[in-house]
This record gives sequence, C-alpha cells and structure tokens, in this order.
Amino acid sequence: MTIPFFGKSIFVPSDIIAAWILSIVLGAILFIYVMNKRKWPLIWEYMRTTNHRKIGTMYILFGVIFFLRAGTDALLIRLQLAQPHAAFWVFQQEKYNELFTTHGTMMIFFVAMPLLIGLMNVAVPLQIGARDLAFPFLNAVSFWLFLAGAILFNMSFFFNSAPNAGWTGYAPLSTDTFTPSVGNDYFVFSLQVSGLGTIFTAINMIVTIVRHRAPGMRLTRMPLFSWATLITSFLILIAFSVLSMGLYLLMFDRMFGTGFFSGDTGNPVYWQHLFWIFGHPEVYILALPAFGIFSDIISTFSKKRIFGYPAMVLSIILIGFLGFMVWAHHMFTVGLGPMANTFFAITTMLIAVPTGIKVFNWLFTMRGGVVKITTPMLFALGFIPTFVMGGVTGVMLSVAAANFQYHDTHFVVAHFHYTIIGSTILGIFAGIYFWYPKVTGKVLDEKLGKWHFWLFIIGFHLTFLPMHVTGLQGMPRRVYTYQWGDDLFALNLTSTIGAFLMGSSMLFVGWNLYKTHKHGKKVGNDPWDGRTLEWTVQSPSQENTFEPMPIVKEMDPFWYAKVSGEKLRTTNNTRPAPISVNTILPFCIAFSLSIMSLGMIYTWYLLAVLGGASAFLLFIVRSLTDERKAYDLKEGHSNE
Amino acid sequence: MKNILIRIRLLVFACLLTGCDISVLDPQSKTADNQAFLISFSFALMMIVLIIVFLLMTRFVWKYRETEHNKNTIPKDIKGNKKLELTWTILPILLLTVLAVPTIAVTYNQSATTPKATTQDDAIHIDVTAQQFFWTFTYGNGKESTNELVIPENKSIVFHLKSTDVIHSFWIPSLGGKTDVLPEKELVYKIDNPKKGTYDGKCAEFCGVNHTKMRFTARVVSEETYQKWLTK
Ligand code: HEM
Ligand SMILES: [Cu+2]
Ligand SMILES: [Cu+2]
Repeated sequence: MTIPFFGKSIFVPSDIIAAWILSIVLGAILFIYVMNKRKWPLIWEYMRTTNHRKIGTMYILFGVIFFLRAGTDALLIRLQLAQPHAAFWVFQQEKYNELFTTHGTMMIFFVAMPLLIGLMNVAVPLQIGARDLAFPFLNAVSFWLFLAGAILFNMSFFFNSAPNAGWTGYAPLSTDTFTPSVGNDYFVFSLQVSGLGTIFTAINMIVTIVRHRAPGMRLTRMPLFSWATLITSFLILIAFSVLSMGLYLLMFDRMFGTGFFSGDTGNPVYWQHLFWIFGHPEVYILALPAFGIFSDIISTFSKKRIFGYPAMVLSIILIGFLGFMVWAHHMFTVGLGPMANTFFAITTMLIAVPTGIKVFNWLFTMRGGVVKITTPMLFALGFIPTFVMGGVTGVMLSVAAANFQYHDTHFVVAHFHYTIIGSTILGIFAGIYFWYPKVTGKVLDEKLGKWHFWLFIIGFHLTFLPMHVTGLQGMPRRVYTYQWGDDLFALNLTSTIGAFLMGSSMLFVGWNLYKTHKHGKKVGNDPWDGRTLEWTVQSPSQENTFEPMPIVKEMDPFWYAKVSGEKLRTTNNTRPAPISVNTILPFCIAFSLSIMSLGMIYTWYLLAVLGGASAFLLFIVRSLTDERKAYDLKEGHSNE
Repeated sequence: MKNILIRIRLLVFACLLTGCDISVLDPQSKTADNQAFLISFSFALMMIVLIIVFLLMTRFVWKYRETEHNKNTIPKDIKGNKKLELTWTILPILLLTVLAVPTIAVTYNQSATTPKATTQDDAIHIDVTAQQFFWTFTYGNGKESTNELVIPENKSIVFHLKSTDVIHSFWIPSLGGKTDVLPEKELVYKIDNPKKGTYDGKCAEFCGVNHTKMRFTARVVSEETYQKWLTK
C-alpha cells in the first residue's frame, strides 16, 4: 500500500498497516479499561517500584506479551512453509527474512530471558530468606532497560525496517555493505540496551545470594533453583559482556567505517567466534534456571528430597563451566581445521555427562515417592522426555563430520526447539503455575492448566518431530519455500498443523487467567505442601517478608519442620535488609538511553547527545541520593 | 555391524514415513556414506539412552503415582546412592567414547582445509565461486558453468570454494556435507567417489534476499561424458 507522507508517497506493506491498526485498537481498549477502572495509581506505583515481586511480575507480564508477538511470527513462518511454492500474504524473500529474525531474536532476548529473570525475581529472595534483592534500585533499572530494549526492537517493525540478518547477525551480511537499512542498527542497539539490564541483574543476583541468605541457609542447603540462578548469573556476566563487545564492534563496522568483520583487515569469522562465545553459554543461561525450577517441582510433588543433591549442584557448575568450551560446535563448517573440529566435538559430547546425571537424579527422585500430578508437575513430566530427545540430537550434532550434513538445516531447527522449548519454555510454564500464588494469592485452575499442557505438548511434537526428517531430506533453514520435487509437503503441513495446536493452547492460558481471577479463591501460604522458605510467607508475598527471620538448620527446612510438627525457629537479629524506595529514576534512565539509541540508529546525533547527557545527569542524581538517610530517620534505625 | 545399521536406518526412517526419500541417508558418494554411517551409528547409540529414560520414567510415574492408598503417607527420604550415581556417570562416558572413536576418525579425514593441505594428484580440481545468488563453477581447462556442476563418477573431486560477497555454504546432500564459502579466504572440500546421477545442490548459509533460490544441479557422469562436456 502506498501512503502519502509529507508530499512524498511511501510504500508500506499491508502486514505493517494491519499491525498499526491492531495496536491502535488494542491500545485504545486498554486505555479505556484503565480509565474506567481507575488503574492509574496502580500503574504509577508499578512504574516506581523497586520491590522484587512487583518487578518480577512486570518481567513476566511483558515476557508473555512478547511471547504472543514472537509466537505470531512463528505461526506466520509456518503458514508460509505449509506447502510448496506458497505465497502467503507478504511473507516471502525479505519479509520472510525479517520474520525469522524477529521471531528468533524476540524469543531468546525478550521472551525466554525476561520470563526466567521474572521468576528469579519472584522466587529467589523468598527461597533464600532475603527481604529483597541486594540492590533494589538497580533491579528496577534492569527491568526498565529490558523493556526499553524490547520496545526499541519492536519499533523497527512498525517503521518497516525490521532487522533481517537472522538472530545470529552473521557478518558480512550484517554489515552496512549488505544490509544498509537501519534494521540491523535496531538489532544492535536494542540488544545492547537490554543486555546491559541483564548484566545488572546478574550482578544483583550474585550479591543477593552471597550476602542475603537467612541465618543457617548455607550454600549446601540452598534450593536448586537458587543454585541454578547463582551459576546462571556468572554465565550471564561473562557471556553478555562478550555479546556487548561484539555488538559494539559491529556498530563501528556499520556506522563508522571500520572493518573488524570484513575487508582486508578484519574477518567475518571473528564475529562468529564472539557471537558463539556468547551464544553457547546463552543456551545454558536459558536451560539451567529451568533445571532448577524442575528440581524444586519434582521434589515437591514427589514428597521427597531431591536425589543426589551434591551431584545436582556439581553438575550445574560443570555444565556452566563446560558451556564456555564448546562454542565452535556452531562453526564446524567454517574451516577451523580438523584439530579444532575434533576438540570441540569431544568437549560437546562431555556436556552430555553432567546433563545425564541430572536426568537420572530427577527420575530417581520420583522413585519411592508419592507422585502427585499437578499442573506444574505435569510440565515437569513433559520436560524430561522432550528435553532428553533434544539432548540426544545434541550429541548427534556434536559428531563433527555428521554435523556437516545437519548444519543449518531444519534438523537443527528441530534440535534447538526441543531443547529450548523442552527446558526453558516448559520450565517457565511450570514455574508460573507453581509460584502464581506467591504473586497473586490464587492458584491457577488445574483443569484448564492440564488442557494447556496437553495441547501444547502434543502440538509441540507434531511441529518439531517432522523437522528432523525434513532437515535430513535437505531442507535448509531460513528458506521461505521449497519445491514440489523436494518431497517435503506432507511433513511441513504436519508441522504447521502442530504449530496451530500449540498456538491454541495459549487460549486456555487466557481463559485460565480470566477464570482464576473471576472465581478463584484466595489460598494460604502453602497451597502445594511446599518444602522451601517461600511457602512460609504470605501469598502474595508482602514487602516486609521474613519478619521475624527463620533460622535454617537443614535442606528443605519448611518441609522437615512440618513433618516433625514443629515451627521454624526464628530470630530478630538479622543483617540489614535492602531498603525499598519508590522512584521514577530507573524509568527515566532507561527512557534516556532509548532516546540516545534512537538518535544513534537514525544518526540524529543531537538527539543521541541529548539522550546520553540526560542519562548521565540521572546517574549523578542517583549517586547523590542515599535512601538510607530518610529510612534511618523514619524508622529510628541506626545502620551498622 | 554395518548391515544392522543400514537396516536401522531404513527401518526407523522408512516406517516413520513411507515414500519420502531422505537424501542424506541415501548417500551417493564415499564421503556422504561415511557421514550417513556416523548419523545412523550415533542415532542407534542415542536410542539406547532414550529408551532407558522413557522406560524408567513410565515405570516410576506409574508405580509411584498418588492414589487413595498412599495419599497421606510420607515417603522415606533417600539422599542418594553412590553406586547408582557412579553407574550413570560412567556408562555414558563409555558410550560417548564408543561414539568418539569413529567421530574423530572421519572428522580428521573430512574437515575442510586450506588449499596447501591437499596433495592428492589424481584428484579433479574445481573452483567454486559463490555470489549473491548464484554459483559459478570453473574447471581445469578454464570452462565455466553457472548453477550446473558436472563431475565424473568415481573420482576424488576437490572443490576450491570462494565467495565474492557474503558467506554462503556449498551443499549437495546426496554427495556430502556442507562447507562454508567465505569471502577473502579459500576453503577446500573433497568429495570422494560420487555415483552417477543428478542431485540437488543448495546454499545452506543464509546469505540475503534470495538465499532460498540459490540452488544448483550437480550431475555426476561417466568419465567420457565428462571429457566430452569439458571440451564442448
Ligand atoms: C511457538 C512455537 C514455535 C514455532 C512454531 C517455531 C517455529 C520456528 C521455525 C519454523 C523456525 C525456522 C525458520 C527458518 O529457519 O526458516 C524457527 C526459528 C527459530 N526459533 Fe522458533 N518456533 C517456536 C517457538 C520458539 C521459541 C519458544 C524459541 C525460543 C525461546 C524459538 C527460537 C527460535 C530461534 C532462535 C530461531 C532461529 C531464528 C533464526 O534462524 O535466526 N522459537 N522457529
Ligand atoms: Cu552451542
Ligand atoms: Cu545462501
């Protein structure tokens, strides 16, 4: 469609017009709803909050919204691939490239990451007996940076310049020579902004877990989700720093004529190294927290402590460590030579060992227990076979010479969806069902939850199992169509049907939320007969949790207290807790940085300088505020 | 051994979907044959793991599920079990060692290298130039062809891969795995003993707008036909 614009007429594809209309309509409905229900104070409160549960809730809320967006991309991909020579709507060629790039990038950075970080925010402080994260202000900054990055990324689509070089952004395709439009600048800056937030979260989680555990909560007694969070945070710290550097260099190549990744001075393979030194640990950043969630859930609903706790902790650490030594298994075909290929094949196989240990420990946790199949447990039970299937194709992929065949085909697409959806997404669903009462005070409806599970898991396998075969039949990834002669029709159609089954399962989530909030009853502190400290505090958790502070004598302290019919001992003598404040500064900082990014993307340098200066000014303001003073005066505390 | 593997290959995939031909598992050259062997071998080993996990899980969930009977019992706590845990640490290591041996052997043989390292005399050398979005093949006598590769059967063919713009990837599923085609750096990939036939070739590395259409045909012909074609 062509639209007149300041005297010129510009071409706008119809999908973008549809998206504008849809967003405006939804925005208007939301606005009217907020007006009618007088929700402005609530929104204002959340915009200024530094409380971990509220920030966690916002992470989850926006993660789910972006999940719907990226999921729509997935359905559009599947519609375009449903039959040979298809020409569905506008999604061929460049549009298709934008489609899988936004799908992949959003799913990883703006869906999986925030949902996991949201669950960490909600659960970790409660699990270890902390009153909040160590740096509540920083936590709010992290959140708003994530949201700023995500919105920036989404804007590119609305202005018809979505990034189009794949979520891996391989140079030299991603340099300005081959993709001159601003799309990939959006990619660089939105990941840069949200990545900064992620790094801050990692620091925050590490300090919280190291400094703010309840008395007696030794590391050797810590729940496995908290352990996974700790190790994941170290991985984030390293991996996201590397990504940040890579993006920084790419920005110079794109905007200021350097040649790090192309030309005589540079080498496109450097980008691949940087990207995968980030990228492989990233997949464990996504998987480890899910492992943690499942460990806690399986133990809770088997009424047994986790089997082989020390081995479970050790294998998390080992996986995290090995995760940094395998990145080149994504690069078997770039000619690193026989030596490198063999080395990375072997290290990759090694990771299967600690992963296998975890799987068997989960299974043996159930043995001899009483296995109660609630919705969270159902997701855990779906996770084990699904993830193991992704794991075994992982081992197959590590066989370097065979990888020459699998690489960049739909076999790989199948593999990584089995691992990412199998662990991360199922883990997130399980975690949301599990901790929902800690967020809202209500338990989600079990029956609808089970509908959600079955539709999702059946749809999932229907979608991705056939892709193993289409890959081996020679279907490369990132192609928008295939031919009749390729013999790929039946399997691709099956995939598409499966994808819609998965999509339809999300309707049950919506229905469930509605039903639970309309008719659900408030539950007490401990709806699942839990084992760890989060089930001792109110549902939803309040801002002054753990007063008085419990004293921990063993692993799963709450469970053993219940079994022996005693109350947890408590104390009032605790470390000073982080102080919660209400402040709009984090929001403003993130806003300034997105203005700066926009200025950079469109090379309106004046705007960039304004945004940057404003962010810098806000840093100074922040450095000069000390909320402890006001707090001490008010409460009559004297600090340390 | 080989026989069993071929049978597994055929059985599992064929009965999964009768009628489809899976080019990677129907290799038409020595190179692709080795790769298909690795695929089937690793698949067989991994099926063992998969089946054990499935069986254990089904059994445990069924046997220990909550019933009216055990609803209120509190199961005995088990902290772990050294012997069991050692078992599922050591057995996988053994399994992976078994897999690692052929992996290393074939990988050492087949990994793409830089031009210096290839010293086989009787091999046929072909220059492959990838460019957005087509392939040019240059033969020993200077003949060029576009999007059509012609090679003689039962020879060693050495491809010298080079790109003029972005990264592409050279792939003929029936004849062997892929090798990236880089700008600024020549890579060399060898395919041994192709069989007569016509096969699809594809670009396997996303390279821009028409990546999808960057396909070519590979014709493997007899020696005489090849010589005739060269001088035509
Ligand atoms: C909801 C169901 C989903 C469906 C039907 C789906 C489908 C697909 C398909 C067909 C592709 C391949 C596109 C191509 O190569 O042409 C793809 C790519 C991808 N998907 Fe998904 N996907 C789903 C969910 C997810 C989730 C939950 C994640 C991660 C959290 C994810 C991450 C990715 C990534 C990273 C890529 C690679 C993009 C690229 O090649 O740059 N997907 N997806
Ligand atoms: Cu990896
Ligand atoms: Cu290509």
